[in-house]
Order: sequence, then C-alpha cells, then structure tokens
Amino acid sequence: MFKKNIYRKIILYALIFLFAFPLLLLLVWAFSGRWPWPNLIAESFSLEGWRYFIDPANGAVESLATSVIIGVAVTFITLLISIPAGKAMGLYDFPGKGAVKILVLAPLIVPPLAVTMGIHINFMLLGLADKFIGVILVHLIPTLPYSIRIMTHTFEGLGDKFEAQARVLGAGPLQRFIHITLPLISPGLFSAGILVFIISFSQYLLTFLIGGGRIITFTMLLFPLVNSGDRMLAAVYSLVFIAAALIFTLLMERVLVNPAEKRDHFYI
Amino acid sequence: MKKIITALIITLLLLSLPAAAAEVLDKSWEEIVNEAEGETVNFYMFGGDRRINNWVDTFVADNLKEEYNIHVHRVPMGPDDYLNKLLGEKQIGRQQGSIDLLWINGENFKVARENELLFGSFTEKLPNFNKYIDQNAEGVTHDFGYPTEGYEAPYGKAQFSFVYDSAKTEAPATFAELTAWIKDNPGKFTYAALPDFTGSAFVRHVIYNTCGGYQKFYEMQEEEFVKAIQPAVDYLKEIEPYLWREGESYPATQAQLDNLYADGEVWMTMGYHPTKAAGEIEKGNFPASSRSFVIEEGTISNTHFLAVPFNAPQPEAALVAANFLLSFEAQYNKMIPANWGDFTVLDFDKLSEQERRKFENIDLGEATVPLAELEAHRVPEIPAKWVPMIEEVWSAEVAR
Repeated sequence: MFKKNIYRKIILYALIFLFAFPLLLLLVWAFSGRWPWPNLIAESFSLEGWRYFIDPANGAVESLATSVIIGVAVTFITLLISIPAGKAMGLYDFPGKGAVKILVLAPLIVPPLAVTMGIHINFMLLGLADKFIGVILVHLIPTLPYSIRIMTHTFEGLGDKFEAQARVLGAGPLQRFIHITLPLISPGLFSAGILVFIISFSQYLLTFLIGGGRIITFTMLLFPLVNSGDRMLAAVYSLVFIAAALIFTLLMERVLVNPAEKRDHFYI
Repeated sequence: MKKIITALIITLLLLSLPAAAAEVLDKSWEEIVNEAEGETVNFYMFGGDRRINNWVDTFVADNLKEEYNIHVHRVPMGPDDYLNKLLGEKQIGRQQGSIDLLWINGENFKVARENELLFGSFTEKLPNFNKYIDQNAEGVTHDFGYPTEGYEAPYGKAQFSFVYDSAKTEAPATFAELTAWIKDNPGKFTYAALPDFTGSAFVRHVIYNTCGGYQKFYEMQEEEFVKAIQPAVDYLKEIEPYLWREGESYPATQAQLDNLYADGEVWMTMGYHPTKAAGEIEKGNFPASSRSFVIEEGTISNTHFLAVPFNAPQPEAALVAANFLLSFEAQYNKMIPANWGDFTVLDFDKLSEQERRKFENIDLGEATVPLAELEAHRVPEIPAKWVPMIEEVWSAEVAR
C-alpha cells in the first residue's frame, strides 16, 4: 500500500516537472541577458525584453489587441455555425450524412499550404484580402472542423428528449433554445470556444497571407523574432501569448460555466 | 521616318508603364511632398532584429511624422513573402496593393524586376539622391551585378565580417590562416546551411579564394559555372570533418549559429553586418570579448536598397520616406551602433566638411573592424544568378 503511494507520487511529480519545467525555463529566459553553456544561471538579467514589449512604438500591445479581437470574433462566428451544424449531425438522419461528416473534417486532412495560395488569389479577387473580415473568414477554415465535431458529440450525448419535453409543455423554438438547449450544451460550447480561440490566436500563415501585413497579429510579431534567435524577446512574447490564452480561458469559464450548476450536471 | 518611329516607341513605352507611376513621377518634388502629407507609408521589411525594428518605429516614424506628417506602418514581412504577395497581386491585376516601400536587394530585386513588380525608375526624383549619392558608383548602379536603373534607391551598406571570441582565440589574418585555424580547432567552426543568406555569403568567400577571384564569374556561361566552382566544393568537403559536429549537420540559420557562438559551443561566427559583434554585445548576447575581423583577401560588401512596388497605394509617401532615409540625419543616426550600425551609402565627397567629420567620428566600438580597414578589404558580389546555383551544388555535394 505504502509502496504504491510512493510510485504514484513519483509519477505525479515527474509529470508536473515535465510540463512545468519548459515554462519555468521560458520565465527565466524572459529576464536573462547572456546565458552561455555550462552556466546554471544566466550571467546577467535585464528587463530589456519587457521594455521593448511595452513600448507602444513597437506595436506589440496593439497587435495583441488585434489578435484578441479577431479571436473573439472567430470564436463567436464559429460557435454560431457549429450549434446548428452539430445539432443536425448529432440528432438527425439525412441522406449523405456520413459524407458530410467526413467533408467537415476535410480542412484538417487537406494540407493547408495546398489550398492557401488558391484561397489567397480568390480573396484578392473578392476584395477580402488585406482586410479584417478576410482574416476572420479565413480563420474559420481551421477552426470549424474541431468545433463542429465537438458540438456533434455534445448533441449526440444529449439527445433531443429534453427539447421534446419542453415542446410538449408548450415552449416555442426560441424559448426551447434559450432555456433548455443552451444551458445543456454549455460545457460543449466551452470546450469548443477555447479550442477555437486558441487556434485562431496562434494562426500565422493564414493571417500572414490574407492579412497581407495590413492586419498585424501577435504571432506575426513573434515569428520573425523567434526565427532570428532573439531568445529573450521570444521568451517574453511567448509568455504574453500563453497569458493571453489563459486569461481568455478563465473568462470563458466565468461566462459559460455556472459554478452552482457544475455539481448537478448529470450527463456526459 | 526615324523620328516618327522613335516617337512611337517612346509613346508605347510610356503607355506600357503603369499609369500611376508615370503620373506620380511627372510631378514636381513639391507636389509629391504636398500630396504625401497625412498619408501612411506601409514599409515591408525583415522583422527579426529588435534594434532595427526599434529604429524604424521610433527615429524614422517620429521624424517623418514631424517633418512631413507621414505615418510609418512597419510590417515585419521578409522578401520571400512580400514577393509572393506581389506576384499574386500582379497575376490578378490588382492595381491598388498594400505595400508602399520595400527593403530589398540582390536576387530578390532581380526577381522583382523580371516580373515587373516595381513602380518605376524613381531615384532621380529624390532630392537627397541627387545631392548625396555618387550616381556612378558600382554599388549604386548595380546590385549583385544586376543593373538597378533607378528602380531602387540605396539605403545602406554592409560588409561581411567574421566574429571571434578574443578571450579564447586569435584572429586569422588570411584565408589560408583561417583554414589552418579551422583544422587546429576542430568543432569550433561552422557556417549556416545554405540557402541561409550569411552561410551562402561564406561559401562565396570560399569560391573567391579557391577558384581564383571573382572577376571571371561576371562573364561566365552557365555550363562552365559548376565546373569552375569545383575547387570550392572540394575545399568545403575537406574542412567538413573539422567543423562543429564533424559537419554531420549544419546550423539551419545564421541565428542558430549565433546562438551556438553566444553559448560558447563554437568560437567563431560571422555576419553580413560589420557592427554585428558590437550590437550583439550591446544587446547582451555575445561575450564582451567578441571582436570582428576581415581576411586579407577581402570580404564581400554589398548595398541594400529601397524600392516601391508597382501597385503601391501611396507612392508619394513612399518617395518622401525613401528620400528621408537618404538624408544626412537619417544615414548618420542609422550608422551609430547603438541604433543600428548600418553603414551609410552617402558619398563622403558630397558631404560638407562638418557632416563628413561627424560620420568619421562615429564610435563603431572596439568590436568592429575600423572603417578604413574595412574599406581596404572590400570585394564585390558576383551576379545574382549564381547564388541559387551555388545553393544547389552545395545541397547536392556538401550537405548530402
């Protein structure tokens, strides 16, 4: 019994170490100047990276705001599409359902580079390139498959009996959706929303091509800095990146998950 | 008859120019400056160096705002990507693009010219170009051996130099000594895998020094070229066992090599930027004992340029910005190592006594090779068309 406990603890701490250590290293790098091998700690520490990040002239904060606005808009639109799509695929039978299910996943299966150039040309022809709306639309491509998939499973688990019950009691379609369906699918919406936001937030190539440099998101600033080996600044920007995603997750949880309800959820 | 034909050809040429370019270039400089007021110039440039980014975001942006009321929007997009974007826009005939000003040179300029991605021959319009630039200098009229014809304005000058850690080793003085150094210090030298820009420049140095200079490459046929650089390939194979990790792998980018150097794993690095060591010491990346050197046989020097794309939405603002970047104050400020450390393209003979002295008094830092020594050891680039061929040969023969 005692021995078993020890093993469990060892595994637990090893896992924590494995996950936390890279983050910890990032944190140290964000404040380090020179850090040559084989020194255990950096030779010098500085706030230079943070100063560069905060300086409004360098546009980091502005691009972070752009990323968040795009992320929120993409999340909203994706969920708006995924709820009816998920419901249709989770609850109803229709001819060609299997094919549709696979087609929904197509953007994940087809290599993105093969299609982005074509999308780019078409977006330019349609006047969507170099615009906010174009970037938001193109982000739907990598996000929709995940979120439709999640919502499909949510509806499959949920079934349509609750809604039927409400209909029997005389609730209209809107009432049924707001009072019955929405609260019941909120955990699914929560997972899908976070995933979608993070996918949109970390897009580089699509934003780069369609935004054409007019729309500068945070990843667009981060990428050349990481690429050119500026480890301190890359660490600073990565930390900000992680923090932004984390804050969004917490906010979503506040909005979508009611703590009082958490306990008496009885499905899934 | 001849006159009529000439007139016809000229009108045809004029008509074939993008309408916008002819229109803008017909205006007087005062008109251009007036129309540029209040506009935004979208400056597309490599975004991986925080000092350069900062210089453009602060010094350039502030001064253009103050003097001309022009807003600078810096976009961190390198040549490969913006050329793709411009090619796409050209393909669908988009006349109103999103890029106003490009930072460009060499092979990329050649691609841009051959695909007619550029705005027009604009340099003569710039007052500072006429005032400060030696228009017959090889570094202005040609870019990697390709004629510039006014489609790009010089912006800065770079010269390749090696960086070593003076606390650990001595600097070799000649190419032969460098070779000996590599063999005496196994595992302490390497270069970035081609097609990295700097790694590729290092290989060109090897070609210059093992294949008998650079002159012959200006008039060489393509069939001869691969054979002509065989000695360089042999040399690179010969030093391979003495490189970092016995040459089994090469750092993929110059940035990785710089980090290897910063970490003390290798003792030498290099850069296409003479004040690189000084700048990296200042940033805190390189050890303070880092110094630069050039070899007796000379190192490659080139000019980088500014160009305006064919579908620039605010070409007037782009011209004013380019003109500002060629002003004495911008060129002087740019050359100070703490700001950027990029060498000026202005002709010292055209500067006033006072201006020249200011340039000469810039403290380039003890990690930089003195200006006079750099100038005495300067060799030009070979034609841009050879660069991709060298990369191909390297991948096939050396990297494997």
